[in-house]
Amino acid sequence: MLQEIMSGQKAAFSASAHTELRGQLNRSRRVSMLAGSIVSNSRTDVSGVSARVYKNGTYGFSSMAEYSDEAARTVLQAASENADFMDRHAGRGLPSLPPLGKKSRPLTQDIHDVAQRTYIDFLRALDAYMVEHCPGLISRSLSATEDSMEKVLLTSDAMDAHTILPRSYCYLIMTAETPDGAPVELFQAVGGEGTFDLNFTDPALVYPQIDALYERIMHKREGVYADAGKKTVILGGMMTGMLSHEAVGHTVEADLVLGGSVAGHCLGRKVASEKVTLTDFAHTAFGERCPLPVFVDDEGTEAKDVPLIENGILTGYMNSRQSAQHFGMEPGGNARAWLFSDEPLIRMRNTAVHPGTDKLEDMIASIDDGYYLLDSGNGQADTTGEFMFGVTMGYEIKHGKLGRALLDTTISGVAFDMLRTVDMVSDTVVWSSSGFCGKKQPMPVGMGGPALRCQVTIGGR
Amino acid sequence: MMKKLERLAGIILSEAKSLGASFAQCTVSEDETKEFNVDGGKFSLMRTLFDRGVSITVLKDQRKGSVQLNRFDEDAVKAAVKDCIAASESAEPDPAWAFSDKACILEFTVGDPVCDTDALFFRTRELLENIAQRHPKILVEQMITSHSAGLSVYMNTNGVVYQTHSGAYSFSVMYSAHEGEKGSSFYSSDVTLACLDRPVIDCALMDRELSAVEQQIETIPLGDKFVGTVLLAPQALMEIVLFTILGNFVSDGSLIEGTSIWKDRLNTQVADPRLTLSVSPYKAHAVIGEDYTHEGFLAQDYDIIRDGKLVRFALSQYGANKTGFERAGSTGWNLQIPAGTTPFEEMIRKIDNGILVMRFSGGQPAPSGEFSGVAKNSFRIKNGKITGALSETMISGCVPDMLMHLREISQDVLEDGSVSLPYIAFDGVTVSGQ
Repeated sequence: MLQEIMSGQKAAFSASAHTELRGQLNRSRRVSMLAGSIVSNSRTDVSGVSARVYKNGTYGFSSMAEYSDEAARTVLQAASENADFMDRHAGRGLPSLPPLGKKSRPLTQDIHDVAQRTYIDFLRALDAYMVEHCPGLISRSLSATEDSMEKVLLTSDAMDAHTILPRSYCYLIMTAETPDGAPVELFQAVGGEGTFDLNFTDPALVYPQIDALYERIMHKREGVYADAGKKTVILGGMMTGMLSHEAVGHTVEADLVLGGSVAGHCLGRKVASEKVTLTDFAHTAFGERCPLPVFVDDEGTEAKDVPLIENGILTGYMNSRQSAQHFGMEPGGNARAWLFSDEPLIRMRNTAVHPGTDKLEDMIASIDDGYYLLDSGNGQADTTGEFMFGVTMGYEIKHGKLGRALLDTTISGVAFDMLRTVDMVSDTVVWSSSGFCGKKQPMPVGMGGPALRCQVTIGGR
Repeated sequence: MMKKLERLAGIILSEAKSLGASFAQCTVSEDETKEFNVDGGKFSLMRTLFDRGVSITVLKDQRKGSVQLNRFDEDAVKAAVKDCIAASESAEPDPAWAFSDKACILEFTVGDPVCDTDALFFRTRELLENIAQRHPKILVEQMITSHSAGLSVYMNTNGVVYQTHSGAYSFSVMYSAHEGEKGSSFYSSDVTLACLDRPVIDCALMDRELSAVEQQIETIPLGDKFVGTVLLAPQALMEIVLFTILGNFVSDGSLIEGTSIWKDRLNTQVADPRLTLSVSPYKAHAVIGEDYTHEGFLAQDYDIIRDGKLVRFALSQYGANKTGFERAGSTGWNLQIPAGTTPFEEMIRKIDNGILVMRFSGGQPAPSGEFSGVAKNSFRIKNGKITGALSETMISGCVPDMLMHLREISQDVLEDGSVSLPYIAFDGVTVSGQ
């Protein structure tokens, strides 16, 4: 754990500039097993201190790979010099950021380090189960991971905080062969917030997920190609989460709005069916703790939910303190940094479409010829709202019933056009949180949503 | 400073030996980065980063453990070695782990280790001004320009020591074109430079790419689906073809797993005889190429495909020991495809029915090499002419089939400081609209 050694440095903050000083420790543990062999067995600890100083519209930043008083002094000085350099050569003459009020949030939980053997033994048990219960696979791969971000933040005019966010997962990957010998693959992440020993107390609790993944890949190996073209589909909750994050969420990050995203022209306009409401949640959603809760961001802003789309109308952007000032909005705690050496950027936290009232079985029964798309391997989106997601698991829907499984395909479209076609929304939200969002820096994020019935272009073969 | 890094590396290795390691290697590095950021077309941030890193790998009874940290104090480093030994003790023994055992002491100097901060700022501002003057419809979403300088020492218990001084400037520009409420897809141009002796807009293919994106505000729908010619710009070539080859066909993971469809194709024809694909860390296009692999072997240029024939897999020594094939000369990605003889414009003139793709947004290619995704920043080509930028167009195909249906390789080449790649046209790719 980080000791709170830097508080004395506050006296060195410039009276005329907004200043942040952050000490941080990132821990990462990883074991990977391929066909029973351990191919990766690593532990990483990265710590240090950084400072950021705001002056008349631009920032100076500096970081050092050392968590000490002396390092804090060095980075404060270098950040101030960089802020002066920017003001001198590229000054924008903007006013000071509105102060947020000085508060503090102490550390509310402690975490301990889990021995590498714990990860290895757990994977061995899962691997043995796969060998015994999953005949016919041509390859199997498993990983166990834990990462955590611990931060001590001091600010000149906002919240001081000591926070920690741990998460841990097991990744299950299976490869089988189609009857004509082509390999097909499926992937599943299990886990969430918390250290590995707390999330994974017994391998037997993961066996049902292995069984479910195996059942799906056995369906997929007998799968068919989707027919290309515009289709009525049901996006499962994982797909809705991907859409919420990639295709909509990024376009309403205020820095991308300033960079020309399509949402810059859409505030207050109808961008989706009135059945669609989308929020970037801070720490609590639908009465429960979010997958990756954020209580204060790295500018010292107390985190709160940011409504993005309400009943189909685009209502807001996610902001930093500077972009909030530009747009005349309130910052909601979206400025987050990955490592000690990273400056805060506008990032999502837990972005999800709100549930509706429809039952999934009724949604499936309502489709005569379409698809139920369950899971995505990856996704990319444009600032125009154009998106493309790989679909790794799905089923045909024929005459209101699930049919054959699908081989890998893609869906694509323009997010706001597609959201206008949503006419049924299920009553159950599914979350995922195992991945990293990439935007200059990686960042753990949660994403989720209910099943949506909508029109989308499917890529076919 | 180099002496300090060497001393620390020595402490790590002797600590590992004293704790029973049969082999240990470590890399100790210290870096300084200067960086300017531009957001929404305006300067936003200047950063100075003082970084350091320690990476340790040990073998004990052929059981491997690895740790990384960024502290140099002796207590932390010794604790990390202990941690690394504990990690190895809990791993399975694997006889395939192997590292360089050719004792030597070598020193490498790569790029320019000294940053000229004023020149970096000048070239950054000049690039913004040049874009505004030459390409007024372009909005720079984000520009990151930097110089990173580093010292590092690699040392292993077999007597291998490498000292590296490195430094390079990098420019990364993400942008889109706008007119009123209409906008193009975003695109990113990147280049790594050893020195700042000319305007950055004239490096790599940056000016050409900016011009192309400016022409993508107004788009046309594709119309009917067809099977035709796809001309891949270097970035799309990498995203569709090269990532599939390296990720799915020739590297450790797919060959150890046995899922590579090329596992039995060594020394057979896998591509048109005009295609050669090399990894070339020592060629001039690689500003910072790999000097040694993560297993301590000196890097060498090598061919994966020569004249269409698969001649070498991109295997580490571990992968080679697991599969029985030969280790590759380098584990880096300094890819090179030799240029063809046809100018880009002439390639366009020779295409009757096809598209030009600058960027690809697609799912992970299947292990079979089948892919499907959106042709971003793309243009329609009809009867030898570009007839307009395309909206929402999908392409799908199979990389192994494409390699056998290569139509032409351009004389024009992207050299961005990391790779050297031409435009390549392939026949038989399915193109469809929404």
